[in-house]
Amino acid sequence: MNPLYVGKSIPRLDGLEKVTGRAVYSVDLALPGMLHGDILRSPLPHARILEVDLSEARKVPGVKVAISGRDFPFMFGGMIKDQPFLAIDRVRYIGEPVAAVAGESELACQEALTKIRVRYEELPAVFDPRDALAEGAPLLHEGQENYTRFGPFESVPGTNICSTSTYALGNVQAGFEAADEIFTDEFYSHAVAHSPMEVHAALAQYSPDTDSYTVWSPTDGPHRRAKELSDALGIPINRIRFISMYSGGGFGGKGTLVAEGLAVAMARFSKGRPIKVVFTREAELTASQTRHAAIIRLKTGMKQDGTFTARQADIVWDKGAYASKGPDVAKRGSLTVFGPYRIPNLELVSRLVYTNKEIAGAYRGFGTIQVTWACEAQMDIIAEKLGMDPLEIRLKNCMQEEDLYINGQVMRGVGSKETLLKASQAIGWGQAKSSPNGSRRRGMGIATTLKPTVTPSDSYCLIKVSMDGSVTLLSSSVEVGAGQKTILAQIAADTIGVPLHSISVPHSDTSIAPFDFGVTSSRTTFHMGNAVRDAGGKVRRKILEWAQDVLKTDAARLNLIEGKILEEGVGERITLQALLAKIYQRGGSLLEVGHYSSAQSASLQASPDLQYMSSIFWMFATHAAEVEVDTQTGIVKVLKIAAAHDVGKAINPALCEQQIEGSVIMGLSNALLEEFKMKNGRILNDTLADYKLASMMDIPEIIPILVETGHAEGPFGAKGVGELAAAPTAPAIANAIFDAVGVRIRDLPLTPEKILKALREKK
Amino acid sequence: MKRLTPFSYFEPATLAEAVEILSGSKEKAYLLAGGTDLLIRMKRGEIAPPALVNLKRISGLSSIEREGQSGIRIGALTTIAEIEHSSALRASHTLMAEAATALGSPSIRNLATLGGNIGRASPASDMAPSLIVLKARLNISGPRGNKQVGLESFFTGPGTTILQPGELITSVFLPDPAARSGAAYLKLGRGGGMDCALGCVAIFLTLGNTDTEVKEVLVAVGACSAIPMRANKTEALILSGSLTDGHIQEAAMAVAAETSPITDLRASESYRRQMVQVLFSRALKLSWSRARSSKDTH
Amino acid sequence: MKILIELTVNEELCRLEVEPQQTLLEVLREALHLTGTKEGCGLGDCGTCMVLIDGKPVNACLMLALDAQRHQITTIEGLDNRGGLHPLQQSFIDAGAVQCGFCTPGMILSAKALLDINPRAGKEEIKKTLSGVLCRCGSYPKVIEAVLAAGEKMKGGH
Repeated sequence: MNPLYVGKSIPRLDGLEKVTGRAVYSVDLALPGMLHGDILRSPLPHARILEVDLSEARKVPGVKVAISGRDFPFMFGGMIKDQPFLAIDRVRYIGEPVAAVAGESELACQEALTKIRVRYEELPAVFDPRDALAEGAPLLHEGQENYTRFGPFESVPGTNICSTSTYALGNVQAGFEAADEIFTDEFYSHAVAHSPMEVHAALAQYSPDTDSYTVWSPTDGPHRRAKELSDALGIPINRIRFISMYSGGGFGGKGTLVAEGLAVAMARFSKGRPIKVVFTREAELTASQTRHAAIIRLKTGMKQDGTFTARQADIVWDKGAYASKGPDVAKRGSLTVFGPYRIPNLELVSRLVYTNKEIAGAYRGFGTIQVTWACEAQMDIIAEKLGMDPLEIRLKNCMQEEDLYINGQVMRGVGSKETLLKASQAIGWGQAKSSPNGSRRRGMGIATTLKPTVTPSDSYCLIKVSMDGSVTLLSSSVEVGAGQKTILAQIAADTIGVPLHSISVPHSDTSIAPFDFGVTSSRTTFHMGNAVRDAGGKVRRKILEWAQDVLKTDAARLNLIEGKILEEGVGERITLQALLAKIYQRGGSLLEVGHYSSAQSASLQASPDLQYMSSIFWMFATHAAEVEVDTQTGIVKVLKIAAAHDVGKAINPALCEQQIEGSVIMGLSNALLEEFKMKNGRILNDTLADYKLASMMDIPEIIPILVETGHAEGPFGAKGVGELAAAPTAPAIANAIFDAVGVRIRDLPLTPEKILKALREKK
Repeated sequence: MKRLTPFSYFEPATLAEAVEILSGSKEKAYLLAGGTDLLIRMKRGEIAPPALVNLKRISGLSSIEREGQSGIRIGALTTIAEIEHSSALRASHTLMAEAATALGSPSIRNLATLGGNIGRASPASDMAPSLIVLKARLNISGPRGNKQVGLESFFTGPGTTILQPGELITSVFLPDPAARSGAAYLKLGRGGGMDCALGCVAIFLTLGNTDTEVKEVLVAVGACSAIPMRANKTEALILSGSLTDGHIQEAAMAVAAETSPITDLRASESYRRQMVQVLFSRALKLSWSRARSSKDTH
Repeated sequence: MKILIELTVNEELCRLEVEPQQTLLEVLREALHLTGTKEGCGLGDCGTCMVLIDGKPVNACLMLALDAQRHQITTIEGLDNRGGLHPLQQSFIDAGAVQCGFCTPGMILSAKALLDINPRAGKEEIKKTLSGVLCRCGSYPKVIEAVLAAGEKMKGGH
């Protein structure tokens, strides 16, 4: 049966609420008796807290709660439990929460914060991860070996190494010996802010009677946040209820406890009154989370014909003060350093290093962005030296269907080559350059990459059919803006055989909707989509069984389409509504559980002990950029980006295009405009006036291209798209700059100053 | 988000009343015009004004009017957007529209005022360089009556001016430009959208009898010294020869030498110095070509 | 110091008491419960708090509520006042110009101010006019499409 909804650009279900201003976000929520919470943050990058005096703050009229870390001395962390809700006896970065107040008004809180006295004893601080690795460097977490770890993350006790991992395949030394040319390059990928338009915000309410918490938040993984809180506070998961709100953008930044933890800490002391915490934009930029900066050293051996003999990679990730999702970023992100290429001999060392800076966390791409920056810039260095065309060398080495991944997994649905061909074709690769006169020069660049998704992981959902035939899909896949609700409703409608408009997809509530790993790693369409297929299939079968009984015919002759039951050769027999009226004469609802886990998939099979690297699906993407460089100012104008993405199957092509366009813009903004200006651990540009995000004036023509290789286990063949999409943008632009003016920038961002300096040095 | 902390609030109905409040107030009173700079600095905790004097109830401060055959007067509370879209200004002082368009975003321009932009005395002001080269004079009211000063001598440092306690800018007078003149304002920012200038240059140029002979030239540079500055030495150098590529290049070196940019979080000193040369050359060429194609008389 | 003020919001007269330091944004969101107007930075940098004052877009976070008296204030909630959606709202849905939706009210109001004056506005003019509203999801290309499409409908005399 051809799907009626899947594959079509259905307008998103949340569109109406969003264009009318009626969509409610956490920042909009107001509850009876609600108090406002505000945070006192550390002015020092590293210090011991000797005393926090809250007595004067408590006297401010309207202030109901004033606490410091000693009042709520718990630690949390989804991977490593190394982070206090509020600093207990030590601060490790400028902006770390030290004390919190809650009161009747924001003004009362602001005043109270000025009355808190904190005595610190300053400690030596370290800001560069290379310095933090040096012998005798100040340590951020002495005794880190005692932290609880939720995963195979190995620290190095007595150092600032939060976690480290290695990987080797074949014999790199032999590989380098067999090489005609060896390329050794160091690249730097900078820290950037997620900077969603909606800052971090959360509400929390504590019930002293049941010792339970309710949290309203836009977090992308409400069930995992509930688990983290449960682990931290030592109370059962069912006493922590996360109610999701519309998220005003997350990009990974809303994937840990940020505002939530602070609201929870205060709520414990407010006698049942809800606490609302809304970050300032300054705190959002300087004291939430960032992308990990990374120093990536690549040594790559090549044959003269452009084939790889070996690659050795050494990656140092700048962790900032606490682990957050860093251990997994450093472990899984690093593995993409071998690219979508066939490389016979590999060696990797990855180290994640604590520094006295804002915490780095998950960021769209999960490490792939940093690694792709290095690999794809080096690929052009290699091509130039070997006298090959950048497209040609990539086509020569890119993975093909049924190639083995580095752990031995058989790769299927490999759209690498097709994305390369389509992106290069759309940009006009190989055509003569048409540089305008004067000081401006044009060039083209290309970059390609791949990304796995978190594997294994689970999604569950519930589908409830009410007695009138209307359908409610209960899932914890939060609508972060990518169209999660719409995609899942499309899949549900086609799976069950009901009209799209008869399906409602309410926000997640962890007390109702079952577990989902989270809206992360581009996994929702695939995983929750499969869970919806599972539940929807059960619902459909049940309905057809009932129809068989009621209509006294064979279920095999029946079909359910758009809420109507049709019989082969007869036509419409009864509507779903009329059928259910017969079944549920005294009321009732049909409820089915859907579940998908990638754990049991045979496709994950790999070499012994290496299956942890397998991915249930692989995303492939190529971006090709055309730029114009002003050689007098160093300013780069990106004219056009063609972005080809292998999405498996587009459930909703318009939503896929949104993800691609949005990622290109984010990637361009990251690469050209964004940068933290630091001084002694302090971020100086803490407003959007000085931390520049791309505006409508900065965007090029973007050509999104969907490649659909299909996936045997994906719902209707779908994979994922959102996370990988920004990764090839920066190297494509940098490679285009090289093509235009012959300068190679190895450290992001690509600022006019750097380009101009390089141009002058070249002369 | 941060809330504004309470302040004493005054809303004078006349200029005299405003002057009286400003000179009589025991607390330091700040003028509230568009608020796009003042309220930001208050929210950021950079200033905490005990009192605000809101000027918006005073009539007659927000018009753009011709003053006979001599020039045009712009009220201090005229918004930047009104300047941007004024047909009167576009007819006689196109440069003002060019500068206005470069300031902030359209919505900021709907709030921000000319008087506020000048009074703030930001070294990176978008309006000041153009006003300087257009020979703007400020009308100032105060406890000792009214006076007029040239904008060039108005700024004394970043955020400071010659205004005495109780004084405020009421309007800006722009004399009509001479015939065979052209002007240009160029700015370098970080992104394409609303941006604080890394450097900006305004040039006003009047040609003599030939197309390469400069009769008069005014050059003003922003974001490259403590105040929006007039580049007198550069002007003299331009006047010393006729407009050739070599001469323009020489003048660009002079303007870089004449400014004193600093390194801050937006750009380094050396980059600013290089950019001021580029902006200057481009602005000079543009104003020159505009002068050549301008009508002989206004 | 509470001051009694009158605001005309979405063609409705509201009488309320405010403190002089309260911004229009605070009053709209908290006193009048019009939360479609967002606060993304509070400093005039992001444009999510865009409202129309006498048809012109301004950042409500940088305007005192007192100063909004005697003006016509339009928020996103005022666009579908007369029942159906405004052409811009429909175009935003149709063109896929909405992602997380946090910037959407600011985008639509800025675009309305432009199209009310010039429904024939082209791509470059749209970009310039909407450049004060930031969108981290990167909905810009489809926003431009949506505004162009709405312009087509509006010049047809909607």
